Amino acid sequence: MATPLLEIENLHAGVCDKEIIKGFNLTINEGEVHAIMGPNGAGKSTLSNVLCGKAGYEVTAGSVRFKGKDLLRMSPEERAREGVFLCMQYPVEIPGVPTTAFLKHSVNAVRKHHNLLELDTMEFIKMVREEGKKLGIDGEMIKRPLNVGFSGGEKKRLETLQMSILKPALSILDEADSGLDIDALKVVAEGVNGLRDGQRSMLVITHYQRLLNYVVPDFVHVYADGRIVKSGTKELALELEEKGYAEFVREK
Amino acid sequence: MGGLVQQQDFDAQAPWLSALRNAGLQAFEKQGFPTARTEAWKYTKPRALNVDDYVLSVAGGKTEKEEIPFDCYSFYFNNGVFDGNVPELPDGVEVMSLAQAAQTDFAQDYLGQAADVADKPFAALNQYYLSSGVCVHILPFVQLDKPLLFINHTLAGETNLLMNLRNLIVVENGAQAELVEYFHYTGTVKSRYLTNIVNEVFLAPDSVLKHYKVQAEAFKAGHIALTAVNAEKNAFYKSLTLQTGADIARNETHVKLLSEQAGAEVDAAYQMNGWATIDTTTDIEHLAPCTHSEQLVKGVVGGEAKGVFQGKIHIAPHAVKTEGRQLHKALLLSDKAEVDAKPELEIFADDVKCSHGAASGELDEEQLFYMQSRGIGRETAKQILIDAYLEELIAKVEDENIRKWIKLKIKTDNL
Amino acid sequence: MQKNKPEIADESGDKYKYGFVTDIDADTVPKGLNEDIIRLISAKKGEPDWLLEFRLKAFEHWQTMEEPTWAKLAYDKIGYQDLCYYSAPKQKVAPTSLEEVDKELLDTYEKLGIPLKEQEVLAGVVAVDAVFDSVSVATTYRAKLAEKGVIFCSISEAVKEYPDLVKKYLGSVVPYTDNFFACLNSAVFTDGSFVYIPQGVKCPMELSTYFRINAKNTGQFERTLIVADDESYVSYLEGCTAPQRDENQLHAAIVEIVVMKDAEVKYSTVQNWYPGDKDGKGGVYNFVTKRAACRGANSKISWTQVETGSAVTWKYPSCILQGDNSVGEFYSVAITNNHQQADTGTKMIHIGRNTTSKIISKGISAGFSNQTYRGLVKVSPSAVGVRNYSQCDSLLIGSNCGSHTVPYIENRNKTAVIEHEATTSKISDEQLFYCQQRGIGEEEAVSLIVNGFCKEVMQHLPMEFAIEAAKLINISLEGSVG
Repeated sequence: MATPLLEIENLHAGVCDKEIIKGFNLTINEGEVHAIMGPNGAGKSTLSNVLCGKAGYEVTAGSVRFKGKDLLRMSPEERAREGVFLCMQYPVEIPGVPTTAFLKHSVNAVRKHHNLLELDTMEFIKMVREEGKKLGIDGEMIKRPLNVGFSGGEKKRLETLQMSILKPALSILDEADSGLDIDALKVVAEGVNGLRDGQRSMLVITHYQRLLNYVVPDFVHVYADGRIVKSGTKELALELEEKGYAEFVREK
Repeated sequence: MGGLVQQQDFDAQAPWLSALRNAGLQAFEKQGFPTARTEAWKYTKPRALNVDDYVLSVAGGKTEKEEIPFDCYSFYFNNGVFDGNVPELPDGVEVMSLAQAAQTDFAQDYLGQAADVADKPFAALNQYYLSSGVCVHILPFVQLDKPLLFINHTLAGETNLLMNLRNLIVVENGAQAELVEYFHYTGTVKSRYLTNIVNEVFLAPDSVLKHYKVQAEAFKAGHIALTAVNAEKNAFYKSLTLQTGADIARNETHVKLLSEQAGAEVDAAYQMNGWATIDTTTDIEHLAPCTHSEQLVKGVVGGEAKGVFQGKIHIAPHAVKTEGRQLHKALLLSDKAEVDAKPELEIFADDVKCSHGAASGELDEEQLFYMQSRGIGRETAKQILIDAYLEELIAKVEDENIRKWIKLKIKTDNL
Repeated sequence: MQKNKPEIADESGDKYKYGFVTDIDADTVPKGLNEDIIRLISAKKGEPDWLLEFRLKAFEHWQTMEEPTWAKLAYDKIGYQDLCYYSAPKQKVAPTSLEEVDKELLDTYEKLGIPLKEQEVLAGVVAVDAVFDSVSVATTYRAKLAEKGVIFCSISEAVKEYPDLVKKYLGSVVPYTDNFFACLNSAVFTDGSFVYIPQGVKCPMELSTYFRINAKNTGQFERTLIVADDESYVSYLEGCTAPQRDENQLHAAIVEIVVMKDAEVKYSTVQNWYPGDKDGKGGVYNFVTKRAACRGANSKISWTQVETGSAVTWKYPSCILQGDNSVGEFYSVAITNNHQQADTGTKMIHIGRNTTSKIISKGISAGFSNQTYRGLVKVSPSAVGVRNYSQCDSLLIGSNCGSHTVPYIENRNKTAVIEHEATTSKISDEQLFYCQQRGIGEEEAVSLIVNGFCKEVMQHLPMEFAIEAAKLINISLEGSVG
């Protein structure tokens, strides 16, 4: 059997002395789309931050293997270069840094890691234009400083654009639908679906079922109090939408 | 009659006290009177205070009760001398005169510990005299039900009184109190008396002091005040000062945030005309991680008056996760008014968020015109705008009755 | 006094006769500063009497002055009598080949992509002339400029060829009494540049003292004078993007700019003198007085500076806005690392009606360095309708550095609208994580964010300069992360 793309075993992690993730297990194979649904405060964002190596979180037990390698020992940029992409809920603004310049740095850092030639400016611009067009991103938007003054929809579209040009093996979508109206949601979902090619995998983290109407998962997990409490297929999401999380929160 | 330094006989006092007073004199003599080159007095020229016809105020005179529109524990200081009457206080609050306190170990532990005199000539002078004032001791976990009110009344006459006051306020663990200071006068408007006051405030962990002050001294008088605060872990010092009087006034607040989570909110308003110089100087020292401070200072300057703001936020090495904010705004109402500001950030730690802002301008003609076009007289319109300008500050006073009282002390009639 | 003068002149003439000046040619000027040395400098340069007098008056005044101590700077006392005020002692200690030069310095050249030949000049191994025919470069430029009537030459030449212009403007913006270092410069300045743009002329090219590298060894006490006549325009570049090896500890330069009616001057500086080593040993003390007077109505001066070098910087490019509607601008990026110290900022003196000024200052402190923004905005009673906006942002990298902001705001006119804002923070963890999450390494992420932070200032630099300055910022911050 092929090595799973991502294997999380008995993960315990938290902030300062407070444990937030309490024995988390999950395996994602190549090409699979998993959804993690959970109530507010379940530690969903902690999970995505821990997987991407954000400072300030402490892993106290367990292991995470990505393509068979120990993910937890890598720096955040190494994880990104290996192919873990976090589509952020609130992408940060970086004043004065043009979006294109940032994207070029990012793309070339990843290419270099994979021993590919760095793109020159012309090649790069061409690629960004093509990919951008699919997401309704015009040239004007990416000339502006990174995320500065972008609307919620623009920020999410830019995240999706980065996902499509970096071609990560695993995309983690953290509340990708928050702050989006229905039209913007559709554009983002289309972009995400366009990346589903049977090889790339996704982990969709969300509170609401709404996004899953557009990005249909292969598996759905209910996440409460730091661990997965129930797993199923896409029908589970609908069930949750109907009944809410109360049952699972009570279970603890 | 004499100058700022007059002969004192304190040999008979406890050795620690006479040593402290001597040290005050030495510190003053070492610094000398501020000159044009003294950076801390760059904008406020105190020269007019350096005269030799001062009469040291030793006797207070008769106390005249004031009508005060809020419930409080009142203490009267006449001509800079505490009248000795301590109102009936709830349990857990101890107040005595400085002279009485000077006999105790308590005073020895605190006196001179917060107010640095090495770079503050007037505080040094004050330490030399240590003649009058009160010591307030709020015991642990006491929540004082009513504010303490210090009424400083000067009966301004022909002689120029030199008044030195020193108050000690110690708020113990978890205790909370409010203090209101009021400086006013009756008598000769042109009296050139000098009030030189130092408050030392010690806030034990988790304690809170809210400190309001109204300075409405006579128009030729001098008013030099220092409030030095030492705030321990999670203690909070909040102050609001309104200055409308005196010829030369400086209200200086020096807060040391000594331990984590200590915080300060130091606000001030000044409003004057004539030839006055009114100075607001603050120095907030963040000496520990996770401390926070906020300052809003607003001034309205008319006539040929000068408003001065010097504000410093200091962040010591390793005092990370600190936040310090400061904003100074001034309105100039006349052609000869002046505003000088020196907001300053001095930062030695990286993980901090600090900002300051300063702005100055005049009343908005558009707004004035708008009101005039609705039939409001120009002078009334100006007053409405000035009130609105200061309202942002006054609104920060939580107690409604105190807020109303402070509002009454803003004089907009003669701008 | 009058009676004495010819005697003094004779005396110096005598000395010349007896070969004292010849000794100078052999680079054996005694250390120290006194009237004789100043006379020698002046005689050596063949200066007219009025200039010698100017120097002597400055020297006399200097002796009554004290070195300023108000800046937040700590450095060892300078032994003014131990310095050599003429000619270059550096030639004695100059390396003879690149092998003898600091490896770190060479690494920096490498990163900036500077050709080997130029590296040799920068490091002081060979003279400029060995690489470029500096005479011919200068002549080509001059011919082109002369067509337009623009004068661009060394100040020594200008003293000889355009004495009236120099006499009229020298010291008119920065009088010799101004401050300790300006006064010293007035007494002993060796050389510098002179620019005159005649009425109605837009200077056809950007003028620069360096065509990448310093065309002339102007030494420790440089003096620049720029006069822009009515309706003229000039953009002037000063500096060198590569760090210059320099054994001179003290640099006390003066830049004076006069801007007449409807004229505009843009003055850009990239300062990258040797900052000393990692432990704070060595490095240049850069004590500079720069000031522009907007004398005419509608005149404009714009200062842009990128300061990354020097061990100690003391510098406040200022604008005196005399003409009605005149405009002053100050755009600054200052980066300090290791043990560098900088106390820098600007002064905006509003005198004319409806004058406006803008200050954008970006300070970055790293390592064990300390940096202060110090600025003055002053509105005199006569200045109706003044507008000023100041923004001073500081970024701290690492926990051992300091960043200070000391603005002085003095308003004596009610119609003035003055706004000042300042912030201090570190690079946010969120920004850093975002970059890393997209595969960008920490050091590269820091440089991206810092360049973004400086953008507002950098965009005021001429294009080629801006690109090199951006590289320089990255180099200056190397080793400050992690």
